[in-house]
Amino acid sequence: MLSWNGRRGGLRIERKHMHRERAGGGLQSLLQYKDALWLAIWLAGLAALGVWDVLFLNRPALTRLAAASVNTALVASGVVVCSSLMGWVSALALHFFDHGRHRWAYLLTTFLLSLIRSVPQIVGILLGYVVLTLLIRGEVLRQQASQLVVMSLIISVFVFLEVTDLIRERIRHYRKLDFFDAMLCSGVREGRIINLEILWKNSRAHLLHKAIHIFGATVFLLCSVDFIISVGLSTDVSLSNFPPTLGGLLATMDSKQDILAISTVSTDPLALPDLFFEHLQGISTAFTIVFTLLCMYRISSHFVARRRLE
Amino acid sequence: MSGTHSIRIATADRTLVAVDDFDIAPNTITILLGESGIGKTLIAKALYGLLDPDDLTVMIDGMPYVHYLQRPETQALQAESFFVFQEPSTHLNPMMTLQEQLNEGSLASTEQHEEILRRLWSASVERDASSLLPVYPKPHRPSGGEKQRMLLAMAFKKMDLVLTGKRFTHPLFVFDEPSGSLDNRYRDIFLEMLFERFRKLPFTVLLITHDYSMIGTIHERFPDVLPGIAFKELASSRDGLRLRDFEPKEYLHWLSGLRPAAAAVGEPVLTVESESDVHRRTLTITRDQKTPCPLTLGRGALVYLKAPSGVGKTTLVKAVMGLVRAQRLRCSLNGLVLTERTPLRVWRRHIWGKKMTLVFQHADEALNLESNVRSVFAGLPSVEGASPAAVGDILRGLFDAEDISALLTKKVKHLSGGQKQRLNLLRGLSLNTDVLILDEPLNGLDFESAGRVIAKLQQQQQAGKAILLVSHNEEIFDRLVPTEQVYYLHARESANLSSQKDLED
Amino acid sequence: MKRKLLEHLFSVVVVGAVFGFVIVGVHQQQAEEAGVHDPAVAEALGLRFLDFGDPLDRALYKESLDAFIPQQRERHEALLEAILDARRQQFTDELYKTGAEQRGITGEKLQRVLGMYVQFILVYVVVMAISVYAAETFGTLRFVRSKQGTSSSLAQMMIVLTNDTIPAPQRYLRALGLLIAACAKGAGLMILFSPAYVIAYSFKTRFDTDSVVFMIVLGIVSNGVLVHYVNKFYTFLVAESRKGYVETALVKNLNHSYSTRDPDGIYRGDIFRIRKRFPKHVFQHIYLNAHHQYLPALKEHAAFVVSGLVIIEMALNIQGHLNYEMLKYILYKQYDMVLVIVFAIYLLVKGTEVFVDVIVEREARRLENRA
Repeated sequence: MLSWNGRRGGLRIERKHMHRERAGGGLQSLLQYKDALWLAIWLAGLAALGVWDVLFLNRPALTRLAAASVNTALVASGVVVCSSLMGWVSALALHFFDHGRHRWAYLLTTFLLSLIRSVPQIVGILLGYVVLTLLIRGEVLRQQASQLVVMSLIISVFVFLEVTDLIRERIRHYRKLDFFDAMLCSGVREGRIINLEILWKNSRAHLLHKAIHIFGATVFLLCSVDFIISVGLSTDVSLSNFPPTLGGLLATMDSKQDILAISTVSTDPLALPDLFFEHLQGISTAFTIVFTLLCMYRISSHFVARRRLE
Repeated sequence: MSGTHSIRIATADRTLVAVDDFDIAPNTITILLGESGIGKTLIAKALYGLLDPDDLTVMIDGMPYVHYLQRPETQALQAESFFVFQEPSTHLNPMMTLQEQLNEGSLASTEQHEEILRRLWSASVERDASSLLPVYPKPHRPSGGEKQRMLLAMAFKKMDLVLTGKRFTHPLFVFDEPSGSLDNRYRDIFLEMLFERFRKLPFTVLLITHDYSMIGTIHERFPDVLPGIAFKELASSRDGLRLRDFEPKEYLHWLSGLRPAAAAVGEPVLTVESESDVHRRTLTITRDQKTPCPLTLGRGALVYLKAPSGVGKTTLVKAVMGLVRAQRLRCSLNGLVLTERTPLRVWRRHIWGKKMTLVFQHADEALNLESNVRSVFAGLPSVEGASPAAVGDILRGLFDAEDISALLTKKVKHLSGGQKQRLNLLRGLSLNTDVLILDEPLNGLDFESAGRVIAKLQQQQQAGKAILLVSHNEEIFDRLVPTEQVYYLHARESANLSSQKDLED
Repeated sequence: MKRKLLEHLFSVVVVGAVFGFVIVGVHQQQAEEAGVHDPAVAEALGLRFLDFGDPLDRALYKESLDAFIPQQRERHEALLEAILDARRQQFTDELYKTGAEQRGITGEKLQRVLGMYVQFILVYVVVMAISVYAAETFGTLRFVRSKQGTSSSLAQMMIVLTNDTIPAPQRYLRALGLLIAACAKGAGLMILFSPAYVIAYSFKTRFDTDSVVFMIVLGIVSNGVLVHYVNKFYTFLVAESRKGYVETALVKNLNHSYSTRDPDGIYRGDIFRIRKRFPKHVFQHIYLNAHHQYLPALKEHAAFVVSGLVIIEMALNIQGHLNYEMLKYILYKQYDMVLVIVFAIYLLVKGTEVFVDVIVEREARRLENRA
């Protein structure tokens, strides 16, 4: 950022830099790595919440909350892995179909991807859950682990296009430069140029950023779908058979009552302590969701700023 | 701003520039030479006050940058000076017309720029500047040269405003690679306009370039201004950068010693038919600038393809390399006929890196900046495994032997522009191809490095490699290539052809 | 542009055909599943003048059969039994309970859904307009504040705490004030990141959370929409501020102070204007380019807003709204109607894409000197 000239401009710079100097070396280095700082804040926040819940939340609720948190994290991580793989395969397929002049394969793949793109993510996942219910009812999926894997796959189907787009955009960017052609002319294989030279050496930060984003987006989508199903669908498409997640836990009557209690604090501030002792299940669940979304966003945006990925 | 300065510029993890004796003489035109990427632009921006103290740690004369920026001298300098940046395409706002950009800020106080524009466009037969004023600058229109001239027009406008006002204190006009996008004729017009003003009233100019041929032009065409010009060269040394006085005769002497290599020309390896259609243009090759004739490249030959900037030299060689789809092309490589209908897989399987290669002109774009030097040679068909020993041998071709072990693990992005260019050339030279095509091979090199590159090319020539050169640096290559190996390229619009873009669409 | 519009049209036709094909397939399958498999039973149930719940009608039906097709009394009794079984099944199956009596796509249903769709579009348009304005305005504000060198409250608190020149009681009071400000900002951020249902349930006792106004407010502030797009615009501004043309603007001595009190600085009112302009200021260059960059991002913004509204309508069970209706159809396994609604939402997103492409193309024509 350019910031020279002008008396006021100069004073501004001085004030900003004086602040930094006073804040000391430790704080300065933390300020330089704000993404790492927010990662630490996220982990510390969840750890603090865990300790509080161990002390004050009843045992069954604590077990439910722990299971829901772990399952949510597992599904989100699963989606990161699956969508990365699906995105990579589809982007490479599109690239080679396009440049290998397999026109029909290219058009067909593009059409299929557009079809997925045309369905809003939340609606697509909801319909995917219908399939998941059928699989559970048909006893095809009996174990919780396999159910979590299928949940990850379903969400990945509606999320992986973000990875596809990113990889294609990176390849396109480097194709515009002489970089790509220069390597081709030197006899370097195209697969190596894309996978090693472009994606590994030049796009790791972009892909990591996308992974953080997908983790956050999955937490949001998963919780939203589970919440919707719990409050909206009470019969066949029911969460009762699904692995518990934070969204499902939030939709239980107890949790909803706990969240409702927040509004009473605005008229009765003395009721504030009750939130932390009597309404702990719902508050903890909501806090975990919102705090995770906030921290993921912060990690992601500071990562972008630090690595200058704009 | 004139006087000697000590300048330190660093990022959080490494020092970018450290120079103790940077000197700009007042009321003098300082021509600052040196290989590209060594830090000339960064130093000029630091002195002008254009660097961001949030991004870089800058110290000038032991003073923190924020204090330097607040000095009244710095602020006066910024008020009455101008800086012409080296990449015209990115230094004009694509969302505003050229007219708006030519008349804003301190340039808004007068709209008298017609004469400046007329002079800067006087060599143009295609259009005058007034037709460009309502235009928004976009990648292909105006051309790079026109954008460069528009930025020069802004500088001359400011120059006239300040110098005729007579109330200036320390104006400084910085021209960073002003001829980078200009043909020699436009470059000479620019120099003429600058020197005219300088003759009337000397002022301080810093002209940054790695175009050594400017030296010859000034000596030949403007000898009267030589006393007002200081030639300096920025070079790296063990202790950082060093600014030294540059003796133009050194370069002129070196230039006069250049000779073609004594290599016998063998049987033809590559033949390109005289006419090709690429990007809606017909490109014609001639020997005498009149009669079309095919380009023939024999074993051990060094062939020079000449044309002014923008005619399509690079486009033609890319078409020959199969990188740009031509609408009409016919060439023969060791008996293998290549046309516009030849599938890409033929180039992929039989040509790229095996029979023919192309070294691109911008090393910054052609190399993977995130690689280390050693891995630049990994994956090439002729360098097995890119072992340190094998890569070391290759590097010895253009680098000092004592630097090689440190160089192997260095990231390409941390090399100077000249080092990158040498690395870029070495990648092409290391391949066992019959044909080597070089696009502006001396781009960004100081003349010492240029000499090493030329020697290396002549060595390859003697070993039987066929080399095709594409360059506008006539001053050097006219001395290296015998006239019978010089070809000219001409372009004309072809009426009934779709452009490449249309075809791709 | 014509080519782009044709592409969109082709895409709508093809996707429409796929949806149509799937809808017909689903419709037939549902008819088969819900229908009676024995044609004789189906035929009998189709006789509108007979009520098999009435013993008299039952007796009349059986006697008629016996009279017209004699010597098959046992077969007629079995048929009657099958008819009664089919009727029982229809009554006990939950899919035929309240709200889902009508199977398949009917004109009445389509009419009802159309009304909801129009309402959904209106809400969507309002949310889009406000959130785009907010993204640009708050993105600009954030950029200006960052240029002013304003530190975060927590960083300021750390500085105050370590500043020995301020007397102890004042120092701690100021630090406390900054801590409270930081907490308030943190709480505000938590709200902006909260999924709509968390906010809605938190305020359910205070507001009518089923109202359209509340839905618009939720659509703008919840689900991270606002934060995400404010940040996006801010990122564009930061990226543009590093471009070469800004350097040229600076050496032309355009104003560059970001103080809102400086006459050469940024006027606060300009930041909040709908059509923003910053004359004679370097920021005008930056803003124009960032704004231009944001235009194509409107497609993604629109998809995000649609998803957010779908979640709000479904999670809050807002009766009479399009997506709650879709949720009910999923519940009652009326997938043909579900697909109709999904296709309608697709058309809305597609419509936005066409709108954005038209604007982008118009801008491109102007800026690429083709106008």
